[in-house]
Amino acid sequence: MTTPAIDTTALTRRFGDFTAVQDVNLRVDAGQFFGFLGPNGAGKSTTIKMLTGLLAPTSGSIRILGQDLESNSAEIKRQIGVVPEGMALFGRLTASEYLRFVGRMYGLDRATTLQRTQELLEFMQLADEEKKLITDFSHGMQKKVALAAAVIHGPKVLFLDEPFEGVDAVAAGTLKAMLQRMIARGATVFLTSHVLEIVERLCTHIAIIHRGQLVAQGSLEELRAGAGRAREPGSGPEASSEKPRSLEEIFLEVVGTDREGNRGVTAPEQELSWLK
Amino acid sequence: MAEVNGGVARPAYPEPISARTQLLAVAWMRWRAFVNSTFRRRPSTARQAVSLAFVILLRILVWPFLALLVVGPVVGSGFLAWDQVAHHHAHNLSSLLAGITLLWQFVAVNGLSMAASLSQFDPASLLRFPLRFGRYFVLRVMIGFLTPSTIVGCLALLAAAVGIGIAEPALAAPALLALAIYAWTNIFFTRMIGAWMERWLANRRFREVFGILMALVAVAFQFLNLRAPSHPPGAANSWLVRFVRVSHGYLDWLPPGFASDTILKGVHPFAAIVPFAALLASTALFAAVFAIRLHKQFLGEYLSEGASRLAPANAPSRVKAAAPQPKIAVSAPPPLAPPVLPPVVAACLRKEWLILRSNSAQLMGMFYPLAILVVLNRGIFSQHPRYLLPGALAYVLAGLLATLYNIFGADGLGVQLYLLAPVRLRDVIVAKNLLSLSLIAIEASLAWIVVAMLAHAPIPESTEVSTLLWAIFVVAANLTLGTFRSIQAPRKFVPGKLPQRRGVPGNRTSGLLVLLVLFGSLLLQVPVALLSRHFADPWLGAWIFAPFAILAVLAYALLLRNADRLILARRDLLAEELCKV
Repeated sequence: MTTPAIDTTALTRRFGDFTAVQDVNLRVDAGQFFGFLGPNGAGKSTTIKMLTGLLAPTSGSIRILGQDLESNSAEIKRQIGVVPEGMALFGRLTASEYLRFVGRMYGLDRATTLQRTQELLEFMQLADEEKKLITDFSHGMQKKVALAAAVIHGPKVLFLDEPFEGVDAVAAGTLKAMLQRMIARGATVFLTSHVLEIVERLCTHIAIIHRGQLVAQGSLEELRAGAGRAREPGSGPEASSEKPRSLEEIFLEVVGTDREGNRGVTAPEQELSWLK
Repeated sequence: MAEVNGGVARPAYPEPISARTQLLAVAWMRWRAFVNSTFRRRPSTARQAVSLAFVILLRILVWPFLALLVVGPVVGSGFLAWDQVAHHHAHNLSSLLAGITLLWQFVAVNGLSMAASLSQFDPASLLRFPLRFGRYFVLRVMIGFLTPSTIVGCLALLAAAVGIGIAEPALAAPALLALAIYAWTNIFFTRMIGAWMERWLANRRFREVFGILMALVAVAFQFLNLRAPSHPPGAANSWLVRFVRVSHGYLDWLPPGFASDTILKGVHPFAAIVPFAALLASTALFAAVFAIRLHKQFLGEYLSEGASRLAPANAPSRVKAAAPQPKIAVSAPPPLAPPVLPPVVAACLRKEWLILRSNSAQLMGMFYPLAILVVLNRGIFSQHPRYLLPGALAYVLAGLLATLYNIFGADGLGVQLYLLAPVRLRDVIVAKNLLSLSLIAIEASLAWIVVAMLAHAPIPESTEVSTLLWAIFVVAANLTLGTFRSIQAPRKFVPGKLPQRRGVPGNRTSGLLVLLVLFGSLLLQVPVALLSRHFADPWLGAWIFAPFAILAVLAYALLLRNADRLILARRDLLAEELCKV
């Protein structure tokens, strides 16, 4: 049995009375392109923060590449790359300066850092903006810088929180190709996105979190077959035996139920009669 | 497109990352950020050149003043240390060292907002890098070495050591050693206080209580200052001298006393062991308490209380299942009286009021000047109501006028709604101005009542009329300029703080102009009062301020009439300046 890239046991995080993440048991094998989905406020970003050591869990354990995150955080951080929710860039640096700083912080030698910085800037089409400060970049350009910083040290596991948000179609295509090449070389990518089409096209495995609890987990095929569901809401795979269900259909089915299994909590039929 | 070779080519990470590499990387990053924010202002147009010239001029004026603030305490510390040791008052050294610590904390507290405005760097953002706790601790100590408080404090201690060494050469070496350690004591003490305050201030309730406490302390200090009997400096019964004498006994058991004892017993090393050990222990204690806080942060502590305000996880969903929707017969609301204000103005006013209502710090801040007025009324000012009334109003207005300059700046991204919605921006301006004017009117009236009630003599009628006309002029003039500035350079204006982000070149120039008008209009009372006194005509002020007030009101009316046109012309700028994410 291979060591999973990410393995959590009963991962829980509370903020006062509010439980953001509850008893999450995630398993992501090495080399998987893993999509982590959920509605707004479901606990995706909180989970990513815990997985990357930015937020302490209230209870439960996290193992990354077989190592316990709490006791080996520095070693693990060296082997992971992160694009956090707010990107966490240093706006008063240029993209080149920022990448050089990040490279050195991850222990790359000076020559490697410079070489990779140049390659990444060209790859992200930022090489022409060498004198512009990051604070003056557009949102999409800042996203590219954050992505470049996340991969400069060649991480084994890459955590991406909404990586394609605000990125133009051309750049998104480039990034997808880069991520797929990373997967081909054995890296693991863990991403959250609200764009289900992108997740469906890229990811081989999916987990869905809803109100802090994992409600589905498995390969895309397993989810389509209904095997990855944490609960049985009453609708099985027989509901669509002809055409494979889309991820959007699966997602709506899974999160469109309340805790008692009743369907339709999103009330799609509700009508705002005053709308033209 | 280029191929990324470095992306996943995976070294086996055979060697740990050296501390030197990471510490130098952070130092280099901070240096580049400093250089970029200081020197990357390339004037390419005449307007930008003028703006840059203003900035340079301002620095020429301000920097010598700041230098004096540093040089004064440093020279003073050196002289006092020399004086006390040379004239056999060495037992007072602990008081001097305590004074330096107080100065250190004072500069640290007052330098916080300045440091925050100069740097957008959050040290906690380093946590995502592969750092061990020890290295993070060193980084957090290292970051901030070049803050004003550390520079002033260390220089003052160095000067004290030099002063002691000159007065008594045998004490030079112990003084240097003890004061070097005492500098570390202060560094860790300041960091410790800062880190714990950050933790506590993350709680809104604590922020409110802390704000009230600080306001009370400030008022109490003013009260004590006025109530304390005045004595010539150095008099034996001066309250300051008495305070130093009383506190002297306690200081022996605190780090200033340990450092002082170490120095004075330095010629007999064995005798100095105990105070030296105590000094080291107190330094270690502060470092440990600071480290405890940092360690929690290192492990991923979450300070914001935003999440806790969300609904609990087990709260029932507010969205119900999609049952067939019954036809709801919505009865028409009862007819209302015709609104006093246009709907847009009323809606904006309500929004501004809701924001103000939830901002307890701002509401509290409104009462603070009134409390100070009560304190001032007990002193010499109450003997001269002719000067007290305009002085009191100027003091109260000074704190409120800045709101007139932030019509759009305070809204930030929210200003997009005004640009997108089918509203006349003139109505938005009117609403915001109405609220500001109401607050100013309320506070000025309260200040007037306070002065009238507490003054020892009736306020002359001529003073009342003159002050009223002057107040109308000040408010109308600042309202006009504030509104105009909000359209021309809409970024948020904070008096005494220049915008750091690069943006509209006019921001800095207009910021200086605003300061000139704001303080110029407030201080206009002074020459007018002198003229009135010179010509022995108490009504002269009223005659001077009446046309000023009329002109300022007319200027505001004219601006309001043209507001839509001006805003339309600056629409791009508003969006560019305020809507950038």
